[in-house]
Amino acid sequence: MIYILRRVAFYLAAFFVAVTLNFFIPRIMPGDPSARIIASFQGRLNDAQVEAIRASYGTTGSLWEQYIGYVGQVLRMDFGISTVQFPEPTSSLLFYGATWTLVLVGIAITLAFLIGTMMGIHAAWNRGGFFDSVFTPINVMLNAFTPAVVALLLFYAFSLQLQWFPLGRAHSTGLVPSWDPQFIGNVLYHATLPVLSILIVSFGGWHLGMRNVMINLLNEDFVILARAKGLSDRRIRYRYVARNAILPQITSLALSVGFLLGGALVTEQVFNYPGLGKFTVTAIESRDYSFIQAQLLLLTMSALVANLLSDIANVILDPRLRKG
Amino acid sequence: MADITHTPPLTLLDRLDEAAIASAAPSQAELMRELRIKGRPGWTSKLPPSLAAFVTNPKGMTGVIVLLGLILFALLGPVFSEYNPQRRAGKPHVAPGYEHVMGTTRMGKDVYTQLAYGGRMSLAVGFGAGLAAALIGLAVGISAGYFGGRIDDVLTFLVNVVLVLPGLPLIIVIASLVDSAGPLVIGIVLALTGWGWPARTIRTQTMSLRTREFILAAELMGEKKWRIILKEIFPNMLSFFMGGLVLGTIAAILAEAALSFIGLGDSNAVTWGTMLYWAQNNMALQVGAWWEIWPPAIAIMLTGAALVMINFAVDEITNPQLKASRKIGRIRRFLARRGRSADVF
Repeated sequence: MIYILRRVAFYLAAFFVAVTLNFFIPRIMPGDPSARIIASFQGRLNDAQVEAIRASYGTTGSLWEQYIGYVGQVLRMDFGISTVQFPEPTSSLLFYGATWTLVLVGIAITLAFLIGTMMGIHAAWNRGGFFDSVFTPINVMLNAFTPAVVALLLFYAFSLQLQWFPLGRAHSTGLVPSWDPQFIGNVLYHATLPVLSILIVSFGGWHLGMRNVMINLLNEDFVILARAKGLSDRRIRYRYVARNAILPQITSLALSVGFLLGGALVTEQVFNYPGLGKFTVTAIESRDYSFIQAQLLLLTMSALVANLLSDIANVILDPRLRKG
Repeated sequence: MADITHTPPLTLLDRLDEAAIASAAPSQAELMRELRIKGRPGWTSKLPPSLAAFVTNPKGMTGVIVLLGLILFALLGPVFSEYNPQRRAGKPHVAPGYEHVMGTTRMGKDVYTQLAYGGRMSLAVGFGAGLAAALIGLAVGISAGYFGGRIDDVLTFLVNVVLVLPGLPLIIVIASLVDSAGPLVIGIVLALTGWGWPARTIRTQTMSLRTREFILAAELMGEKKWRIILKEIFPNMLSFFMGGLVLGTIAAILAEAALSFIGLGDSNAVTWGTMLYWAQNNMALQVGAWWEIWPPAIAIMLTGAALVMINFAVDEITNPQLKASRKIGRIRRFLARRGRSADVF
């Protein structure tokens, strides 16, 4: 329990580092957002208007006052009003996009982790065998391919040429979001190609990680003891070795959540999927700073929650942590 | 009646002889041939052990050769081209042929020339950011691991924050605030956000090294701290540093491509990522101009694959059990051929 509390304290601290970075980065850059907007009017604004723009971007008052104001806004989840989808508040757009990204990345991460880990277990158990010497390098190389290219090719082949899959969107127009099987099936159908393109470039990492950790564990004394006790191969493989080897995997899974959520923007861009990445790209094009900053905070929060969950999973799986 | 043909009990030596005769003991050379194990070439004996292990690793050397080929292409490629990568060189979407080896883009720019110049930029950003991240990781990791105490607490906190904060969204925030995020800006930001992993590995390794006798001996001899770090600890961190460098470079090249692809980069700069960006914007695949999209795509994939190969070799040096596992398949089959139980590993 103390262990978990210590971790929670760390995540709170990390969150404040992110908030602080988010506050200071625009202010140390040449020309903050409000200065840019004011400059784009080329002196056609009166003082009151300039002041109003500054106030809406929180760049009035001393740096300390601005900071306190910003932290207060963040804690209230108030990210201002979107300049693109005016007058929609940024947070409602943000959570709409985040839901679809979560669907996409959630399915993709789960599948990639399961497939990669199972392949890694298999490769490590039969190390030096055919599967290990052929598929380990191939899978890891897939991991180093650009998501952009994989997504483009899948889109070209299956959406444009063969027309097996839709050209975009998260679900067909005219369907109202609900939990009925028809809608869920439609969402899955639309998510197939995006999920596949994330899956192809990400399962190799889990394969290699699991394989390397497991190979080291296979030579440990407890495995020899298990063998001497006459336990079945299956039991040794899953209950003894894989259970230990999966601990570092879970930690890196949590660390990769933030990266994957951010990395989905390429996939969403290619498949025209209405996720966080798609909105972020639109926000970049129209310089919607409040959205760009809010997506960083949201992704940071998701990454921190994922790490907390992984800490809890580690405590459940590894009795050694329960004492500390 | 007593047994007259009494045989003396077998001694241990006799048994060993018997075993040797039973298996018709092959010579070492025969064994090595059958197991397809080659001795190390003589010239590698002059190299430091980890370097010798690298140059005799087939995967690692394949990666190095492919990578050197790509670097040579980026450096020398423009020499064989009369075109400017930024200017139009012919009609739009000319198919590959004599005039344009890899065809032209929608804008009529020569793809071969762009690929070579873009290679310079992409590889420079990738290696620059990877190297910078690995160096920061090395400095932070060794300091945290060696000095311990308060310094370790502060540095470990920083490392954990960098690891936990999502890098790509942070880069997007920074890049969107700069007017046009050129390759240099992207490289710097990638370096500043990518040093978490190498720092963590090197810190753990330094901590285990600090308690070893040779470090203690150096300390007792009154060696200066910076000297111990440079002369005793750093050489042992080389392969971990290399690992961080390789992984950091892969990440940086992929991230640069992704950022340019979504249009965050400076779209006037020529990199492999911006080539993909324009190809996607110009619907190259839809209009059948495959030559606009495949060259940068294949170049990025080849670079990634070569670096992954090198990383396999580095992994086998830092973790000898991985290297041993490569030969286990052969040894098992060898034992099976001789009717021995292969269940020894």
